[in-house]
Amino acid sequence: MNATLPRFFWNEYRKRRKKTALITFALFWGTLSILLLMSFGSGITTQFKVAFSGLGETLIMVYGGQTSLPFEGLAKGRRIQLYPEDIDYLKERIPEIGRIVPESYTYLQVSANGKEINRNIHGTTDEFSLLRTQIPQMGGRFLDADDVAQGRKVAFIGWQVAKDLFGGAEVVGREIVINRIPFTVIGVLKEKTQNSMYNGPDAEQIYLPINAYRQIDNSRRLNQIHIQPREASQSKLIESRVRTLLGRKYRFSPDDTYAVSFWNTIENAQESEAIFKGIETFLGLVGALTLLIGAVGVTNLMYAVAKERTKEIGIKLAIGARRRVIVQQFLLETLFIFAKGTFWGFVTAFNIVHLIRLIPVSYDSIGIQSYLLRPEFSLQIFLTNMVIVGILVFLSGIFPALRAAKSDPIESLRYE
Amino acid sequence: MIELQGITKIYKMGSQTLEALRGVSLKIGKGEFISIMGPSGSGKSTLMNIVGCLDTPTGGRYFLDGKNVAGLTFDQLAAVRNRKIGFVFQNFNLLPYSTAWENIELPMLFDGKNHRKRKERVTELLQAVGLYDWREHRPSELSGGQQQRIALARSLANDPPILLADEPTGNLDSKSGQEIMDILMRLWKEGRTIVMVTHNDEIAAKSQRVIRLFDGQVVPERTA
Repeated sequence: MNATLPRFFWNEYRKRRKKTALITFALFWGTLSILLLMSFGSGITTQFKVAFSGLGETLIMVYGGQTSLPFEGLAKGRRIQLYPEDIDYLKERIPEIGRIVPESYTYLQVSANGKEINRNIHGTTDEFSLLRTQIPQMGGRFLDADDVAQGRKVAFIGWQVAKDLFGGAEVVGREIVINRIPFTVIGVLKEKTQNSMYNGPDAEQIYLPINAYRQIDNSRRLNQIHIQPREASQSKLIESRVRTLLGRKYRFSPDDTYAVSFWNTIENAQESEAIFKGIETFLGLVGALTLLIGAVGVTNLMYAVAKERTKEIGIKLAIGARRRVIVQQFLLETLFIFAKGTFWGFVTAFNIVHLIRLIPVSYDSIGIQSYLLRPEFSLQIFLTNMVIVGILVFLSGIFPALRAAKSDPIESLRYE
Repeated sequence: MIELQGITKIYKMGSQTLEALRGVSLKIGKGEFISIMGPSGSGKSTLMNIVGCLDTPTGGRYFLDGKNVAGLTFDQLAAVRNRKIGFVFQNFNLLPYSTAWENIELPMLFDGKNHRKRKERVTELLQAVGLYDWREHRPSELSGGQQQRIALARSLANDPPILLADEPTGNLDSKSGQEIMDILMRLWKEGRTIVMVTHNDEIAAKSQRVIRLFDGQVVPERTA
């Protein structure tokens, strides 16, 4: 094909583009639907991950329990509780553990600013923030190593606690009283989406250095231990080692699944990811099928165009056009229409996605909105769409083109 | 230049067959001006289509410039149509969406001629048919005579040695028809071979020789 022919084809396309407006629109609509479906699918997955990371990513939580099997002469039904020594005990023996953090909590009255409320008070260490996504708002901070070591009377509070006690006012540096002991607020949790929790949302919690916490609750008992593996893939291994080691220490069978229990978010995340990938694939498929219907329409319209242009094809063949010139022209025209339709579909989808993302999401409740209002647009989505649309367009363009090129010049010239 | 030997053309329509040409043999020399006449259904158009390489004969041999074209492929025939044969149709057959200029340029595009060559040739042809000022007009904006002049110019784009005209004046008023005939005569005098189908004896009389067809056969010749 010489370079002048495409320009000629382009000119011919421009002259009759009004006639192909319907086809262009079909492609525009198809592109728009598939892009939006994929963007929403992708957004839902991401939002789920974000919400899930509100609790903590790659996190294993260990709880005490009750034995269900007799062991070494001990009857079943013994209570197994976790203690601060277990932290070092496990950390020294399981090299796969990246971080390990204790947590104790109790429900107490909190007063400040002339108000009294009841909330869960937690005692933990500085690394808790890394495991449990505790990001402070501007101007504040989470507990640090010195707070923990020296048992400073400081508190990190959820944004809802801050609102309940102080209204909208500045909170950092203010005093709250728990069990008649005053604590200074050093930070407020930044708002986040959280769909998994064990004692209510983090927005409602108050965190103290574990050594200070002991002054309001001297039971020494840990409610749970948080473990972050070095590698997410080692989470099952860590679980079994923790059970074996604690079994050795507290004398229960390593097969006793009730003596200690685990909440393994890594496992949960993998399961949910599979579900969301499924949803994403499904949405993509719905989009592709929508587009397929569009492509059938395009094929039909291209046939109509080819029919309408029978005479013109006859003229071209008569004055010496080769068959492949006719095929090329049809394919290129399909490509022009494709380019135009997809371009506007892309632009529209892109803008819709970004406009929707401008809508603020409320963090006070975990609603459907936080999933639906955060569609995502990515290069991958764009490329997938291009490939699907490209294949469909080629298929819808090639058949009418081949039929047009096969037409008999004499018959075509006679066509009115 | 053109030599047909026992050309037959049989159309099959379901179980019926139609013999459009039953053994046509004729010779047309270089630079001749031939008219083909005959009643409707006598096979004039079929003969023109075969001579013009738009159609292939069922039997017989067709030598164009000494080369048998009966066995060429579609694309090879396309190349022959493009370079060796110019067509002028009764109903002009111009592309409706293209301007006069673009219509004339088309055969050269298919031949792969470059922009400069095309521009020169189109300008030359438009001036020759006296329609240079109408170059940006579409066929629908031109009169029948003007359209046929553009069609003539298009048929000459690749400077073919043979010009085939299928009732070129059939759709025109007498004045426009006369203009077309004047151009054809001029082209003939310049050395082109011209084969023209016509119903009009007056117009046929301008040619050197008349070939009469009846029922798919050539009626014995009489020189004009």
